[in-house]
Amino acid sequence: MQTEATLAQADVSELDLVRRCQAGQTEAFDELVTRYRTRIFAMIYNMVHNEQDAWDLAQESFLKAWKSIKRFRGKSSFYTWIYRIVMNVTIDWLRKKQIKGGGAEFDDSIQLKEIDPASKTVPKADPLPHIRMERKEIRARIDEAIRQLSPDHRAVILMKEVEEMQYHEIAETLGCSIGTVMSRLFYARKKLQNLLRDVYENV
Amino acid sequence: MKTFEEKWTAWLDGKLTGQELAQFEDSLGDRAVAERERLEAKKLGALLRQELGADVLSNADFFSHQIHEAIEREEAGRSTRLRPGYGGQAWWSIPRLAWAGTTSLAIFIVCAFFVMQQDAQPPSDYLTQIVTAKLDPAANPYGTTSVLEAKKDRVTVLWVEGLQSLPADYAAK
Repeated sequence: MQTEATLAQADVSELDLVRRCQAGQTEAFDELVTRYRTRIFAMIYNMVHNEQDAWDLAQESFLKAWKSIKRFRGKSSFYTWIYRIVMNVTIDWLRKKQIKGGGAEFDDSIQLKEIDPASKTVPKADPLPHIRMERKEIRARIDEAIRQLSPDHRAVILMKEVEEMQYHEIAETLGCSIGTVMSRLFYARKKLQNLLRDVYENV
Repeated sequence: MKTFEEKWTAWLDGKLTGQELAQFEDSLGDRAVAERERLEAKKLGALLRQELGADVLSNADFFSHQIHEAIEREEAGRSTRLRPGYGGQAWWSIPRLAWAGTTSLAIFIVCAFFVMQQDAQPPSDYLTQIVTAKLDPAANPYGTTSVLEAKKDRVTVLWVEGLQSLPADYAAK
């Protein structure tokens, strides 16, 4: 996982910062926030697709982390631990939002024909666009595709492909089994491949 | 036992090895089709990393500042709640609850002691006591007989009311 750590910051071990936070030193927590704020904000933004909501959820996640940092025992890395908080906060928020909205924004019920490897690998018959898509348009397509995934599937695909986390780290973060992570990854990839094939084939 | 989805995902990510890899690849119907899909998955991953991994948090310092302020408020609130003598929430602490419980129990024991003391006293000499009261429906449905005892004078009175005759079990011996 990439961080904002400079060489000087890297000298201070993460565990040392955590210990200082547990002793009540807010400056040490500021340091941890600086290291992870961009990654965590980006992760949440990719989940909720709204800058203000992402900002608020990231703030809430860091505050929760501060409140519960005394319970961190160092059994996992700090970023896995804080990602777990981030994911709980974000997925809860998405579920509540969906309940309030009353509609099904996302739909994981992939049709069987969509997960047939043979049918999946046939290139799309639609003619490819001759004009190169602007980056903004590509991003909009990706956001729209991700929006159709459930919170759990969004979390898994983003942690695997963007954060490049290992299966066991994702499982630990989401509090589920490795098998569940792999299964969710399977369906999330299938769905995104269906929705974004023309994009990644032409970029 | 891994499901197909788990094996497929592991195969795409290059996590299958040894005999498991050989068995899975043998089970694939069309290896070329599977390889194409693996390539697609890699392209999808690259696209997501390229487009989604480049987000930058604007106003990062303000973001940190806001968190710092929230933590300071949190800590100030916590120290206020924990301050001795702080009204409301802190009053019903565990020691206070224990103290209140002990006091209530002591008051109850004292009251119970006085009540038992009163019960233990001998009956008043000035009272007339009804010792028995009987109704004999066979003799007379409206009749009652009562034996009354005046303690002071050591006199027993047999009170008969509504009877034509004295019941047999009250006959003088």
